Amino acid sequence: MTKATPRAVVWAAIFFIAAVAIYMLVPLLIVVASSLSTSEFLVFPPPGLSLRWYGEILNSDAYLSAGWTSLKLALITVVVSLSLGTPAAIALSRFRFRGRSVISSLFLSPLLLPSLIFAIGLLMVFSRYGDGPSFAGLVIGHTVITLPYVIRTVSANLADLDPHLDEAARIMGARWWQRYFLVILPQCKTGMAAGGFFVFNISFDDAVVALFMRAPNVETLPMRIYSTLEFSPNPSVAAVSTVMIAMTIVLVMLLNRIFGLSKIV
Amino acid sequence: MTQSLRPGSREPAFLLAPGLFFLLIAFFFPTLQLLAQSVIAVGSEAGRLTLEHYAKAFSDDFYAGIAFRTFKLSIIITAICLLIGFPLAVAMSRAGRGVRTLLILIIVLPLMTSVVIRTFGWLVILGPGGVLSWTLNALGLIDNSVSLMHTETGIVIAMVQVLLPFLVLTTLGSLNQIPKSLEEAARVMGAGFFRGIRHVTLPMSVPGLASGSVLVFALSISSFITPSLVGGVRLPVVAGSIYQQMTGSFDWGFGAALSVLLLIATLVLIVPYMVLTSRMGGR
Repeated sequence: MTKATPRAVVWAAIFFIAAVAIYMLVPLLIVVASSLSTSEFLVFPPPGLSLRWYGEILNSDAYLSAGWTSLKLALITVVVSLSLGTPAAIALSRFRFRGRSVISSLFLSPLLLPSLIFAIGLLMVFSRYGDGPSFAGLVIGHTVITLPYVIRTVSANLADLDPHLDEAARIMGARWWQRYFLVILPQCKTGMAAGGFFVFNISFDDAVVALFMRAPNVETLPMRIYSTLEFSPNPSVAAVSTVMIAMTIVLVMLLNRIFGLSKIV
Repeated sequence: MTQSLRPGSREPAFLLAPGLFFLLIAFFFPTLQLLAQSVIAVGSEAGRLTLEHYAKAFSDDFYAGIAFRTFKLSIIITAICLLIGFPLAVAMSRAGRGVRTLLILIIVLPLMTSVVIRTFGWLVILGPGGVLSWTLNALGLIDNSVSLMHTETGIVIAMVQVLLPFLVLTTLGSLNQIPKSLEEAARVMGAGFFRGIRHVTLPMSVPGLASGSVLVFALSISSFITPSLVGGVRLPVVAGSIYQQMTGSFDWGFGAALSVLLLIATLVLIVPYMVLTSRMGGR
């Protein structure tokens, strides 16, 4: 195969790939570089290097409480989304029943509808029938947008496994809870782990639902970053963003370890 | 494989009920609420059914301009994603294991980073006295400061970087389904590199390219974070003005009407997308 590919094409491909790699990664690298600046302003090139902005965010109540809110929100969303999505994924991948493909599309539909539109609807519902946007509203919003990922990873995981184990357990007289907690759920754990990482990442990073469901006293990191960028960008935002990029790298590495990236994307 | 059920088993129903109930209340109900809000009058006639919000959207030249800009930018963004994404996906599908993993990392890492952060990077690059301006000066190409902030070019550059992964990953999925033997057969029969691409690889990746570009277009017309921060108030897009109506001017009826129009534009695209992907075996 490679032998027949003209040499000029190979060189063009290498050059092209390098250019795209730079283009894709440069915004992230620039954010990391800006966080190390000594300057009060976002200037390039930075006049000197320091870690002062990391010290600054560690002393900032606003960033710390936004970070805590984001972390709490992401962890609760992981739990809620996994507990609603896993049983549904089990039903969709293990049973044949009428309307299965319709129900499957219903579960994946939040993936296709722009989250902006859903977020507006949710804001209206919360304002009309409740006390307006709240932390619980954010959990609900994030659960909706992350549920498809749980369905997909758990279903993909189950598709690779032996369904006869459950049948064997059934024949051997296992009660329903024994079958689910001792046979089926342990088989789902890789899919649940991968799904959980996706859910955490999406919830932690989301700004669309968060900006519409902006409640007084509830501020997440992406909301804080967005409003800082609108008014007065400074290196402390870069430091917070760098911490978030580092978390993303760790998550992507873990996903690669557990699942193999080429399998899930 | 799935197992057949004994007649009358309620097991799947029990497993599906919590998730479906949740979606009904938290996803479908809000979407319906949005539709309702867009046809309900406010003010003195409050509660009556009306089309005034839609009439406002269609009669105002200002909003026609915004809609035109949004569509124009989305078409350009989608076209550029196709131009960059197809060769990249082909290269990825042919690379060795190590290079392939590296390329997937390069595509997935930005995808999984918050849009707000990626946009932040572009603000520092494109802004006055930013990285782009400095680099061009250092290379001696210009001798003053340039800025692509508040320009359509700037929006396109940033948006392509944000949306390219969706096109690449969808196309890669479809390329992986092409049997290797087909491309080899083309070679053996004497087709050169470009003829092989043109007559075998390209036609067979059309489903992936089509669904990928529909996805990119749909995400593009509905995004507001990147266009709002890069374009600023001077270059509003539809999604940005919806955000403005909802959180700034609190004109919910009008915001809802604009959202419904955006939803219709998206659905017109998504329905063929769903048909395509289900024909491909579903993802």
